[in-house]
Amino acid sequence: MPAAERAAQPGAAPVLQVTGLDVNIKLPNSVVRAVQNVSLEVRTGETLGIVGESGCGKSTLGSALAGLLPPEAKASGSIKVGGRELVGLSERELRAVRGSEVGIVFQDPMTSLNPTKRIGVQVGEALRLQRGASKAAARSAAAEMLGRVGLPRPFEQLDRFPHELSGGMRQRVVIASALICEPKLLIADEPTTALDVTTQAQILELFDGLSDELGMATLLVTHDMGVVAGHTDRVFVMYAGREAETGATGTIFSQPRHQYTGALLGSILRMETPRKARLGTIPGRPPDLSAPGAGCPFAPRCAAASDECTSQLPAASDEDGHRWSCYHPLAVQETKRISEAQR
Amino acid sequence: MSIENVTAVRGPEDSALEAEAEAAAGGVWVRTFLRNRLAVVGLAVAIALLLFSFVGPLFYHTDQVHTRLSMETLSPGTGRPLGTDSVGYDELGRLMVGGQTMLEVAFGAALVAVVLGVLWGATAGYFGGLLDGFMMRVVDALLAIPALLLLLFLATVFRPSVPMLILVVGITAWLVPARLIRAEALSLRSREYVLAAKTMGVRAPTIILRHIVTNSIGTILVNATFQVADAILVVSAISFLGLGVAPPATNWGAMLSDGLNFTYSGYWWLTYPPGIAIVLTVLAFNVVGDGLRDAFGLDTRRG
Amino acid sequence: MTKFLLRRCSQAVVVLLLVSVIVFGLLHLLPGGPARAILGTHATPSNIAAFNKQNGLDSPVPVQYWHWLTGVLSGNLGFSYVQNQSVASLLADRLPKTAFLAAISVVLALLIAVPVGFFQAVRRNRVGDYAITTVTLVLYSTPAFWIAILLIDVLAVRLHAVPAEAPQGSFSALFNDPQAMVLPVLTITVVTVAAFSRYTRSSVLDELAQDYVRMARSHGASHRIILFGHVLRNAAGPVVTLLGLYLPFIVSGTLITEFVFNYPGIGLLAFNAATSQDYPVMLGVVVVVGAATVIGSLLADVGHALLDPRVRVSAGIA
Repeated sequence: MPAAERAAQPGAAPVLQVTGLDVNIKLPNSVVRAVQNVSLEVRTGETLGIVGESGCGKSTLGSALAGLLPPEAKASGSIKVGGRELVGLSERELRAVRGSEVGIVFQDPMTSLNPTKRIGVQVGEALRLQRGASKAAARSAAAEMLGRVGLPRPFEQLDRFPHELSGGMRQRVVIASALICEPKLLIADEPTTALDVTTQAQILELFDGLSDELGMATLLVTHDMGVVAGHTDRVFVMYAGREAETGATGTIFSQPRHQYTGALLGSILRMETPRKARLGTIPGRPPDLSAPGAGCPFAPRCAAASDECTSQLPAASDEDGHRWSCYHPLAVQETKRISEAQR
Repeated sequence: MSIENVTAVRGPEDSALEAEAEAAAGGVWVRTFLRNRLAVVGLAVAIALLLFSFVGPLFYHTDQVHTRLSMETLSPGTGRPLGTDSVGYDELGRLMVGGQTMLEVAFGAALVAVVLGVLWGATAGYFGGLLDGFMMRVVDALLAIPALLLLLFLATVFRPSVPMLILVVGITAWLVPARLIRAEALSLRSREYVLAAKTMGVRAPTIILRHIVTNSIGTILVNATFQVADAILVVSAISFLGLGVAPPATNWGAMLSDGLNFTYSGYWWLTYPPGIAIVLTVLAFNVVGDGLRDAFGLDTRRG
Repeated sequence: MTKFLLRRCSQAVVVLLLVSVIVFGLLHLLPGGPARAILGTHATPSNIAAFNKQNGLDSPVPVQYWHWLTGVLSGNLGFSYVQNQSVASLLADRLPKTAFLAAISVVLALLIAVPVGFFQAVRRNRVGDYAITTVTLVLYSTPAFWIAILLIDVLAVRLHAVPAEAPQGSFSALFNDPQAMVLPVLTITVVTVAAFSRYTRSSVLDELAQDYVRMARSHGASHRIILFGHVLRNAAGPVVTLLGLYLPFIVSGTLITEFVFNYPGIGLLAFNAATSQDYPVMLGVVVVVGAATVIGSLLADVGHALLDPRVRVSAGIA
């Protein structure tokens, strides 16, 4: 696990600093509290994984950090990218941030690219819009970036159309277009979910390499614990719009504290899992974010839930960078028991 | 004529949407449709017009067979809410009788068009290859000839009557559902359940009917609704040109044609009622069709 | 692109051949055969026999078809005994007038419909959108002849602004009396605008929902750049194809309009031929119009392929 071995640079200010972020989405008949009181940081060269089930708010979080929230969504709190506050900026000001300070890669490469425009034009778009580059300059920068993301014969690819490329190649093109202005922060929202397993591995390795090469901070949003395990330095576990647990990847995987994290880990297939073992499942469904209750959102599905869990939100406990909010955190022996139970 | 007909087709696959569609046997789409107020109003209007035409005469008796020239072109007054026409028929009663013919032909033609079109298109789409190519070229060729021209020709050869009109309108209208269902069949034939049926040795006609057609029921229903709207427009056009059913039978198009002669005299009750009736009916069915399309979640464009 | 062109053109040729077969079939569908149809109901059996011999109608059907087809391709569309003129010369006189009317109306309709539809999609669900949607929905549900009648009633009868009858005479006469062209053009335009603005609106809305819009936004593109640099071009493709598909309907609408306004085009010609049972003329019109729409549709598809490269690898429409 190369990523887990890397330590963050001490002393440098974090590239991304989020404090108390709330995102509310106004629907015709209700208001969905998609993100509630989220705080996190990412430093240069570091990769933070944001993991959680579908509907937990991680995609909304990703959009908010990229300045791409739809008009119905309102963000409050603080998002600082490279020291610059994003919350409260006008559309025009946000536009200057997008693509230039923050790059974002979306899930589906098949539909992310405009089918009627050539690859070269789309990759160079951000450079022309944000840095005023000429067509020729953008074109050669695009070719260079395509080479960097591992596309063979980049100059030939410039004039092709998206439908002429495979899924993996298209995703590389999308990544290239996000990175063309060498942003400080790259947000990747489920970048490999739509790809086959082999391509997935290649793309994730690409992220690892780029993170080092370009000195970027990377945010990897995913529901796949396997992706998190192999390619992130730190993890942020999200449930129902809130932070459940966060810490270094190695710590989270070997000593999870929040019941939800434990349950998540118990449900994935690991190398050590014996053949006949049954994978754990989490009963129930995620809560309705338009009507959040008073206590811990995971309580209805939690095996260890008690009265205080449903009446009041647990305060966060912090242990040397490892933070969790749970009234009944898993003890170290229990984590061993989880791997035992899988035998 | 109807663009909706030409272009409405199922959108890109989405397994969640698919599952919903499968479960829609009577369920979800009905509720979604009922939530659409405009569509419900349209449905109510359509039903009201049906009742007006078929049940109305039972309450409002007029003589629609014998002409009474002494009563010609009287303006609306007591006993005759919409006046009389050029040969003395009561206009309101005429409207009802006209409605019967229009709706009979429209529904009949829509049925013919949908049945013929679905069978043709499903067969072409399911088998694919050269057969598909040929069958679709035939559709293209028939589409290339404007329906009205074809109808003009057929109407002069065959004596106009309600069954004949149904056949003639249906024959030009089946092309669009054929195209639509062919597109559906093309995408459905690679589904697992179709492949499974094939492997089990189920014969093609059964597969086509039981799997492909039943899973395109949304598209078929939507198109059928638009077919009714279109048929009304087409029938009124032919009748307007004088090639519809012979008197004393009538329909709104023929009434408009008669009324046209009197536009300069200002006899508004001879033109506006049938005109408004046509627009109202077509509008109602178009709105219902739109509502159904939304309820089934169908794409409005890709052909 | 060339592969696409080849494939599409060969498809068009097949369709044209099928159209000719259909027309030929219609000719022989007539009761009593083409002889009776052409000579009229007063023809005696010996007239018919002579006619048949003279025109090779006693040969096997495929041979007849071949003769007929070669005749058509060399410009011989038959002879109208009713009007005492060759069908080809009648068509040559009338076709340009119809083409002129249709062309002006369609161009005008597109110039209005596309911006309107675009505007509607961008201002979706606001007052302007709802108002226009309602109007187009009503217009779209109104038969062309009713629109014509209303226009006549309001503009010609009550306001005396324009004449109710179209200009008669030769092609150049059309230009001498532009006022008389107003109502016919307006009728076809109104009907076409209703349909096309609805379609453009849907097309633009569909494009706005696409993921690439989000990606362009993430590069820092403004609304204007997204709308005009990305969406417009992508939304235009299907509209162009629709134009090709819609040609037969436009012709039908033109036919009605010519009838109402007494416009001397091929629509009126066909109608008069129908009522006087002048079958050669009717079928001649069908052949010419059929061929024109096939070619028109082909051109529209090519236009779409120019706008959208994905179309070039697909098989065209059906």
